[in-house]
Amino acid sequence: MQKISIMIIDDDSTDRYLLKRIIKKSNFSCETFEAENGQEALDFLTNYEQNKLKYESDFPPILIFLDINMHIMGGFEFLENFSSLREGTEKYQTSVFTMLTSSERKDDIDRAHSYDFVKGYITKSGFTLDKFNEIVQTHCAKYI
Amino acid sequence: MTISSKLMLIVLLTIFEISLTLWSVFEISNGAKFHQLNLFHLKYATEFSNKVFSLEKDSTIDVVELEKLILDIRQQPIDCLESVNFLNEFIMKQIGTHGAIGICVKDIEDGNRVLLKMSEYNDKKISKEAFISELKNAAYAFNENSSLFEKPVTETVLFVMKTMVPLVVGISLFNILFISFMSNTISSSIKSAVDLLKSKNSKESLAEDISKNVSGELKVLLEVAQKRIRNEVFVTEINQQLEKLVEQRTESLTRANTELSQFAYRTSHDLKAPLTASKLLTNFIIEDIEAGDIDNAIQDINRIHDQMVKLEDLVMSILSLTEVDSIEVNHSLVNVDNILDDIQQRLFGLVNESEYVVDREIEPDIQFFSCPIRITQILENLISNSLKYRDEKKSELAFIKVSLLGVADTYQLTVEDNGIGIPEDRHKEVFQMFKRFHPQLSFGSGLGLAIVKKHIDYLDGTIQMQTSPGGTKFIITIPKIGEI
Repeated sequence: MQKISIMIIDDDSTDRYLLKRIIKKSNFSCETFEAENGQEALDFLTNYEQNKLKYESDFPPILIFLDINMHIMGGFEFLENFSSLREGTEKYQTSVFTMLTSSERKDDIDRAHSYDFVKGYITKSGFTLDKFNEIVQTHCAKYI
Repeated sequence: MTISSKLMLIVLLTIFEISLTLWSVFEISNGAKFHQLNLFHLKYATEFSNKVFSLEKDSTIDVVELEKLILDIRQQPIDCLESVNFLNEFIMKQIGTHGAIGICVKDIEDGNRVLLKMSEYNDKKISKEAFISELKNAAYAFNENSSLFEKPVTETVLFVMKTMVPLVVGISLFNILFISFMSNTISSSIKSAVDLLKSKNSKESLAEDISKNVSGELKVLLEVAQKRIRNEVFVTEINQQLEKLVEQRTESLTRANTELSQFAYRTSHDLKAPLTASKLLTNFIIEDIEAGDIDNAIQDINRIHDQMVKLEDLVMSILSLTEVDSIEVNHSLVNVDNILDDIQQRLFGLVNESEYVVDREIEPDIQFFSCPIRITQILENLISNSLKYRDEKKSELAFIKVSLLGVADTYQLTVEDNGIGIPEDRHKEVFQMFKRFHPQLSFGSGLGLAIVKKHIDYLDGTIQMQTSPGGTKFIITIPKIGEI
C-alpha cells in the first residue's frame, strides 16, 4: 500500500473528520496532519528542520487541503504567506494544494488558481473518494 | 457731492477753459485779419491815388480801371464789417475803439459817393475837372481812413491779449487746482472704503460702518457688492454642503454595499457548511450501523446535533440582525431588572446555576427611557457572550455584573465579566460581522457583537470595550431623550 502524507487546514473539526473518513477508504495509507487555521499551518510548515527530523519523509506533506473561510488566518492570507515562504527554496516544491471549501464564488476560484501550486478547487459538498484519487494520480504520483 | 457730479463739474470747467482759450485765439487772429484787410485797402488806395494824381496831364480818364480800384478799396471795409460780431462791437465800445467800425462805414460811404460821381461823369452831368477833384478828395479820404483804422484795431487786439491771456492762465491754474482737489477727495473716499473693507469687522458692524462712513455711489457700490458676495458665499456654502452630503451618502452606501455582499457571502457559506457536513455524516452513520459500529454512529449523530445547533444559532442571529433595522422606534420606560430576569431564564438554563454569579447594580429610581427591544437584545448578546466565554481555569467563580447609571445627559449601561477576554491584536475586529475569537470554545455565529453595535448605533449611543485575560467590560453610553 502506497503511503501519502496529507495536511488538512480547516477550522471546522467536523469537516476535518469527514475528510479523513472519506480518504480512509482510499488505496493509500495516509499520514495526516491537521491545522485549525492558516496561522497554525504556516507555523507548522515554516518549522521545516525540526519537523523534517520528527516526521522524516512524511514532511512536508504532499497533498494539502485548504479551506478559505477560517478564523485567525483565512485560506488566501495563508496562500499569500506560503507563496513567499516557498519562493527561492526547493523545500516545498513537492507540496500540492487543493482548496476544499464551501465557497463556489468565481472570484475565489480564480484567485486560488492564480497560485501555480494550487492544483485543485473542490467544494465541500462535492468531495468524493473519486475526486481524491484523481487528484493524487494527476498531481501527486510523481512525489510519492 | 457725489463722485459723478464732481466729475461732471470737472468736465464743465475744462470745456469752459478750452472755449475761452479758443475764443481768445480766434479774436487775436481776427485782429491780424483786420490788419491784413487794412493793408490791402492801403495798397489799393495808393494805387488809386497814383492814378488820380497822374490824371491832370492826361486827357482821357480810364473810368473802368478806376471803378475796379474803387470797388477793390470798398470791398475791404465790407469784409471787415462782416467779420465783426456782436461781442467784438461790445468790447470795442467798452474800451473806446468802436471808432474803427465808424471808419469802415465812412470808407464805404466815401467809395459809394465817388462811384456816384463816376456815373454822373459818365452821364456828362459833371465836368471832367469836377470829377477829377472828386476823385482826388476820395483818394485823400481813402488814405486817411487807412491810417486812422490801424490804431483802434491794434488797441483792440492788444486789449484781447492783455485780458484774455491772464484770464486763460488763471482759469487753467484754478482748473488744475480744482481737479486735483476733486480727485483727491474721490481717491480718499475710495481709500477709506477700502480700509473699511480691510478691517476685520464682523458682518453686521461692517454693514453699519458702510452706511455710516461711506456715501453716494461708493455706498451703493459697496452695498451691491456686499449683497452679491454674500449671495455667492451662500451659494458656495450650499454647494459645499451638498457635495459633502453626497460624499457622505456615497460612502455610507458603499459601506452598506460592501457589508451586504460580505454578509451574503458569509451567510451562504455558514448556512451551507453544517448542511453539507450533516448530509455526509448521515451516510457514515448508515455505514457504521451496517458495519455494527454503533459507538461511531452515536458519535456522528452527536456531530450532526452540533451542526444543527450551529445552524440554529446562525439562523437566529441572522434573524435578529435583520430585525435590528426593522424595529420601530418605540421609546418607553425600560425596566432593566425585568429584562435581566427574562434573559436569565432563557440563557442560564444552559449552564449550571452554581457555576456563576450575576450581580446587578441599577441606580435606584432611575427613569431609563429607551427602546426596550433593543436594550433587551444588547444585554442578551453581551450576557450570552459572558456565559459562553467564561474562564473555567480561574479559581474564582464566573461572574457577570450588569450596571445602569445616569451620568449627566447619558445613561451608562455596563456589562462586565471575568471571562477569558479577547486577544489584544484583534480588538479592532470586535464589532465586525462573522468575527469569532475563540472558535475552539464555542461555535457562535460571529454576529453577536455586530448586532449589539447596530442596536447602539440606532440609539445614537457608543460602546467601549476594555478587555484582558482577566475579563471583559463593555461600557455603553446612550444619550438621554425627553419623555415621550
